Amino acid sequence: MESTTINIVNIIGDAYGVEADDGQKVYELIKKSIDGGHKVTLSFLNIEMLTTAFLNTAIGQLYKDYTEEQIKDHLQVTDISESGKVALKRVVETAKLFYKDPDALKRSIDDIIDDD
Amino acid sequence: MKVLSSINNTYESYQKLISFYNANKDKLFDDIHIELRQWFSANMSAALGAVLDLLAGHINDIYFDYIAPDTEKVLLKNEFLSYYGKQRIFDTNHTTIKYQKLKPSDGKYFKKYVIEELIGRNELPNMSVALKEKMVEAIYEIFVNAQIHSETDFIYTCGQFFPTKNKIEFTIVDTGVGFKEKVNQRFGVNLSAEKAIEWAVKDRNTTKENISGGIGLAVLREFIGMNKGKMQIVSNDGFYEYDRNGIKTNSFTGTFPGTIVNLQFCTNDFNNYSLKDEIDIDDIF
Repeated sequence: MESTTINIVNIIGDAYGVEADDGQKVYELIKKSIDGGHKVTLSFLNIEMLTTAFLNTAIGQLYKDYTEEQIKDHLQVTDISESGKVALKRVVETAKLFYKDPDALKRSIDDIIDDD
Repeated sequence: MKVLSSINNTYESYQKLISFYNANKDKLFDDIHIELRQWFSANMSAALGAVLDLLAGHINDIYFDYIAPDTEKVLLKNEFLSYYGKQRIFDTNHTTIKYQKLKPSDGKYFKKYVIEELIGRNELPNMSVALKEKMVEAIYEIFVNAQIHSETDFIYTCGQFFPTKNKIEFTIVDTGVGFKEKVNQRFGVNLSAEKAIEWAVKDRNTTKENISGGIGLAVLREFIGMNKGKMQIVSNDGFYEYDRNGIKTNSFTGTFPGTIVNLQFCTNDFNNYSLKDEIDIDDIF
């Protein structure tokens, strides 16, 4: 399988990966690469700040398009900070649950109504 | 109603601001007079600025009839009053964080603001780099939430350092769709504003339909817990507060036309936020 490297800092033109719209640009490139049969190395080199909002759109939503195995096979990350890793892991776990069980949110609403 | 007296970050203070807005919101082509008496916490400039903008949007003229001298000095230093025809003054104590009004699309400008007003400031030598980073991340999560969810015209921010109390207060305000409408529309329910905020703050709860999320506010709450700080959310007629004493919720008489998020951080927090190797990079997906 051919591989490609996506440098986030270059895609978003900034060292701050914070806005959801910027995450969307990264997502679209990853998707295009995977759909084209490439392995993707996503480089966080020179990224100084991350939000979960950015990571949700950049990476989290991949779980609606691909299985866990496909993502494991096609995507790896490099040069991510320790705090970035923690945030990304959380984003990934949340995304897996979100797409596996779309009714969970509705149930959480029912739970809060029942609290009354 | 024109007097706002003793405004800081208590539930009662938010109620006064809401009452002021509601007493004036139906005015059109009119004059709006305002007096700031006793004290007015600098970071609340963000909330007042948002309210006054909405009132000015109805072609009303805003007049500050009286501002307590100490308050005036601070609001000139943080540049709030420069939006109302007064000359700003230089902050020799370096304790103000500028009042800023940004369009939601001005993310790049917000970055410059955060670097200049928070990261790059050396007034707080006690704060570790990791703690500063956590604080800025938290502020960003709130800013981005306003960008994504609120459909607001402007996002208003302001803050203040309290060097002797080892605290930073930072407030982000929008005049868009509040938590209540957002949650109720998404799920076809009729939650109160308090309940809608409570729901949204919980981990993994999001109103976004095709993208997972709901982490930002939960991460913020966890950080506030470790930092022994405080977070408050005022949205529509709902009030939510989280600090070391737990969660408090309440409702207001009248409605705030948007959302206020007020964050209080302790700067003398010596928790170790520099995590090392907790997560294997090959075991993320």
